[in-house]
Amino acid sequence: MIKTNPFKQIFRRKLTLRQKEAMYGRLFVLPWVIGLIVFFIIPFVNSVYYTFQKLSLGDQGLEFSFIGWENYIYAFTKDPNYVKNLTSSITNMLYEVPIVIVFSIFVAYLLKDEFKGRTFARTIFFFPVIIASGVVITVLKENVLGGSTSNMVASSTTIFKAENLRAVLINAGIPRWFSMYVVDIVNKIFDLTWRSGVQILLILAALHNIPKSFYEVAIIEGATEWEKFWKITFPMISPTVYVAIIYSIIDYFTDYGNQVMRMVVDEANKGRFEYSTTIAIIYFLVVMVIILIVNRVIGKRVVYLT
Amino acid sequence: MSYIGKKLNVNEVTKSVAKKHLFIVLKNVFLYAFLICMSYILLYPILFLISNALRSKEDLFDPSVIWIPKYITFSNFEYANVLLSYPTAIKNTLLMLIPSVIIQTFICMMVGYGFARFRFAEREILFTILLFTIIVPLQTIIVPLYVKFRYFDFLYIGKLLGFITGKPLTVNLLDTPWPFYILNLFGMGIRSSLYIFVFRQFFRNMPVELEEAAKIDGCGPFSTFIRIMVPNATGAIITVMLFSIVWHWNDYYVSAMFYNENLPISVMLTVLNNRMSMIQDAYNLSSEDIYLMGSTVLEAGCLMVILPLIVIYIIGQRYFTESIERTGIVG
Repeated sequence: MIKTNPFKQIFRRKLTLRQKEAMYGRLFVLPWVIGLIVFFIIPFVNSVYYTFQKLSLGDQGLEFSFIGWENYIYAFTKDPNYVKNLTSSITNMLYEVPIVIVFSIFVAYLLKDEFKGRTFARTIFFFPVIIASGVVITVLKENVLGGSTSNMVASSTTIFKAENLRAVLINAGIPRWFSMYVVDIVNKIFDLTWRSGVQILLILAALHNIPKSFYEVAIIEGATEWEKFWKITFPMISPTVYVAIIYSIIDYFTDYGNQVMRMVVDEANKGRFEYSTTIAIIYFLVVMVIILIVNRVIGKRVVYLT
Repeated sequence: MSYIGKKLNVNEVTKSVAKKHLFIVLKNVFLYAFLICMSYILLYPILFLISNALRSKEDLFDPSVIWIPKYITFSNFEYANVLLSYPTAIKNTLLMLIPSVIIQTFICMMVGYGFARFRFAEREILFTILLFTIIVPLQTIIVPLYVKFRYFDFLYIGKLLGFITGKPLTVNLLDTPWPFYILNLFGMGIRSSLYIFVFRQFFRNMPVELEEAAKIDGCGPFSTFIRIMVPNATGAIITVMLFSIVWHWNDYYVSAMFYNENLPISVMLTVLNNRMSMIQDAYNLSSEDIYLMGSTVLEAGCLMVILPLIVIYIIGQRYFTESIERTGIVG
């Protein structure tokens, strides 16, 4: 009999292939898990703790006094704006996100094929990615879209507004709710195009990832463009579309233009940090539920190659 | 269209060819019309910024000036340069940005790979938490984080040492780029969760055969990751890196929290209007001038802040879009 180190034997027996795989997986994820605990969960629990307090500036810095659920009760029953803003954010998201996604798929599909000026077009379409996330867009929105009085150019920005369109549509006999919807979208075209840069980019990358042989087979089989899109392209890009949907939802909810986000920042600036955190936490619980529902509904329909 | 086995009718063939041509022409007309409209919408703000930044104060009152100012001046840029402390601010930004971007991309790729390719019991629950971290913005946890970096104490080692020395040993990391490095190192940097999500989706879609081949050739999971997966993920890496650069550059909320001095460029832009008195003294301007030029100087400042990004983007754009095309490894 060969003598082996008993410790080594136990160690070997303990790890089956699956256990080994799990261990390696945990090692890969480890940095994030440490970060999650130290830089997210602990601060988050701290923040949640604040929501049950009243903060005030005393002689020795911040002073806390326990007030229970009062901040939450205030948000739902006394604050005149919170519930209103919350519901309008959610309904706006429900119709803006599909538009952004359809628009992004459409643009990515256009930009995919070779045509004259494609490089230029691509450069321009990803332009918003550079600007849209920073302080510059805030300045732009105030000066370009908000119409500041300090210069004359502001008045010409009404080209992006469709004031007369509504009357035209209603006169044409189109149902009122539908024409309102259309006008609303037209008014938001600037915002929507500016918010789809990332999604276009993600989807374009996915489109280029589809093996050409798939299309060759389809052409031999005599598939039409329409069939090619729904039978090959769409299933193949579905994982990315899923990312894009999640991204759009999150981007919408965390945008500073969003009414609730603005409330969160305003309240924090007013020094009511505990109330700001309270409304933020309610808000993100609601968003989380929405994302989990989307995950349930769409996640199952995503096609993975492997 | 197949004509095999059919009697060729010349008329029919030309008709179908003509139809095809008409379709192509219509498609192109539509394509270019659409692209021109979109270009206008997307470029409008930049043109607006350029037009306004070049205005002198005489143009501000002239209603006949719409796009092209009559008295073109570069003094707005000069003022913005002073107000933003441009070279120093750029230096501060780069000091924070370059290491952050590299660390962030690598760590997110690693974690994304872990989520995509290994099965372990708590994976699903961790992944749900990951989604949650994307939607909880830093605003909700920024105050505790601020305190954490003010009295930074890695893994409570300082507190442990405190039992010996009597006083807990902590470091003040504010006003240095270290909070950014540390957050990125642990996958908690600006939008890190999103990048992890992107990498996870990317790796999930890669063929398993690649890994199996590597395993047979004797690669462990880490060398498989470094030698097989990373080189094949160039497209995803470049995409994430570009986003990471842009978001680190544009970030002003977190930076404003962690810095008091050494302000990066985007934070400088937010305080530009408060520093207007600086040019008043330096250039002998009246307070009326200052009031009038407030917006044009701010717009010149905006242009100067995004200019480096635009340059990086235009140079990198080619590699970037090419890499998008070359991400496919199958087929």
